[in-house]
Amino acid sequence: MGTVESLLLGFSVALQPDVLWYAFLGCLVGTIVGVLPGIGPLSGISILLPATFGLDTTKSVVMLAGIYYGSQYGGSTTSILMRIPGEAASVMTCIDGYAMAQKGRAGAALCIAAVGSWIAGTFGVIMLTLIAPPLATFALRFGPPEYTALLDARPGVPRLHVVDLAAAHLADGVLRASARHHRHRQHDRTLPVFLRHPRARRRHRHRTGRGRPVRPGRDPVDAGCEHGPQCHRAEAAPAPAQPAGMARVGHADRARFASRLPGRAHPGSAHIISSFLSYALERRLSKHPEQFGKGAVAGVAGPESANNAASTGAFVPMLALGLPTGPITAVLIAALMIHGVPPGPTLVNEHPNIFWGFVASMYVGNLMLLALNLPLVGIFVNVLRIPYAYLYPLVIMFCIVGVYEVNHSIVDVWIMLIMGVVGYGLRKFGLDPAPLVLGLVIAPTFEMSLRQSLIMSNGNWTIFVQRPIAAVLIAVCALLLALAALSVIRARKDWRSKLAEAESGEGAKARI
Amino acid sequence: MTLRTDHIAGGVFVALGLAVLALSGDLPVGTLSFPGAGMMPKLVAGLMILFGLLIIVRAGESAPLASLPWGDLTHAARIVAITAVAIALYQPLGFVVTMVLLLFTLTFGAERRPLFAAAAFSVGVVALTYLLFAVVLKTPLEPGILGF
Repeated sequence: MGTVESLLLGFSVALQPDVLWYAFLGCLVGTIVGVLPGIGPLSGISILLPATFGLDTTKSVVMLAGIYYGSQYGGSTTSILMRIPGEAASVMTCIDGYAMAQKGRAGAALCIAAVGSWIAGTFGVIMLTLIAPPLATFALRFGPPEYTALLDARPGVPRLHVVDLAAAHLADGVLRASARHHRHRQHDRTLPVFLRHPRARRRHRHRTGRGRPVRPGRDPVDAGCEHGPQCHRAEAAPAPAQPAGMARVGHADRARFASRLPGRAHPGSAHIISSFLSYALERRLSKHPEQFGKGAVAGVAGPESANNAASTGAFVPMLALGLPTGPITAVLIAALMIHGVPPGPTLVNEHPNIFWGFVASMYVGNLMLLALNLPLVGIFVNVLRIPYAYLYPLVIMFCIVGVYEVNHSIVDVWIMLIMGVVGYGLRKFGLDPAPLVLGLVIAPTFEMSLRQSLIMSNGNWTIFVQRPIAAVLIAVCALLLALAALSVIRARKDWRSKLAEAESGEGAKARI
Repeated sequence: MTLRTDHIAGGVFVALGLAVLALSGDLPVGTLSFPGAGMMPKLVAGLMILFGLLIIVRAGESAPLASLPWGDLTHAARIVAITAVAIALYQPLGFVVTMVLLLFTLTFGAERRPLFAAAAFSVGVVALTYLLFAVVLKTPLEPGILGF
């Protein structure tokens, strides 16, 4: 049976009303899981796994997979609106997405994220359909030396302007709440004394209309809005115009390709690393790299597309080889096995209904997510209107529940709180927590693959240059470091920057 | 000498590095060809101390410690303390009671929102969350003293 016939078979399964319903349910829950900080796709899938025991295999795997790729769509929302990544892969979206929101373009950023996610997600499913076997074979070539070399190439990434990460959720909540509280007090001081009491302020608002909660642009404090006037513009921000939207296709294209390699080859955190790589690639290729970090559209489209394509890519080794590329696909494999269906090469031949039904459901699921996310942009933007005094307790509650539910371990929750305090300290002293979190994510894999490589080579370090893929990755790492050093040297030698510095110094003296 | 933010930040990294070195002291270092369990922690701790010292040396470029705004510290500490109490009570009291208390304390106690608004918000949100997880999604949350 050819690919087209198989896909038609898949669509005949995926378009059944009950399968469609569970695909929709998965996408909806996935979007919610992605939106809620503290609950990632892993906890979402894990806590819902028992709920699928009563379903048949196709429905359960379609729903659970919908949660996974739905969370990639939803994860961008809080990143853009509140600078809190809904899940780890959305970390890079925080940088430019949040900057766009601050400039009053939250709606545009959310639209770009949704459309980019859809393009990349659909592309990922097409790849899954067409070239899964050769790509899976390529992934099999990645051994410990290749992983070590790949992780070695990471120093180029922390150079990027990275913002606070998932581990700093609580710190963010605490910091924002505190900052807001501080501003609240400052705001009080700017009012006449008799207006400082809440009741008096309400009377004042009633008379003057000042500080109404639905007017964040006029009164950021009472609206609980972090961004002040920008929120007002954000709520009125129209969806991106067609030309801008079309221009983003290029970024989504690059992001899709950026996501393919790690999506297949890097286990565990493929969708996370893909978004980092995509951001780095976009910044390198951009004609205006200085705009990155200040609301560059490509900085939203790239990472968002990449993490969606990568999350789809993670299904290739899972379905074709029965290999989990991370904890999420491991849970999905467990779901298949609970239903007596062994994943792997036999799945395609012995259970074509399940395999192709699942693949076809992803085409439908991506469309559902686009239809679900675009109209919801307005609702999500309204999140900015919720007073922060009510919003951050919710974030803290979901952080506690989300962390606890993964392992039912209260120790994990204590660690989260300690990390929150550490994150607060880091931000107070102006230290970027991103490299710290990046190190926490990469270090265990790096150490393990390094040890495995040295055992393979009997302690010989030349293994990293003897294997072609590892050698290429090491060369890329060296090139990135050289480019980084070169840009620093050039910046120091640049006479224009020295002249500008001298002029600004003279200007300051003249003003004094 | 003016105490600057990077003096403190670098000092914390040096202290943390020394702590890691002390904690990983018993682990074998091994050789370069066959690194032991202690090599990576010691390597990382050594680098952390080195970079911490570099931060201290270059602290002149950072802002004076006195210029840091600490007006939010008491509020942040209050939130952390309330969250810590909630974590401590989560298993004995369960999801429903703990989260109602947490939300109410944060909104009414820490944020000084009106009593009834804070109470309605806390109870409503927890009830909706419980319905979503326990009833719709059939996911058990921590039962605690109420038994559900």
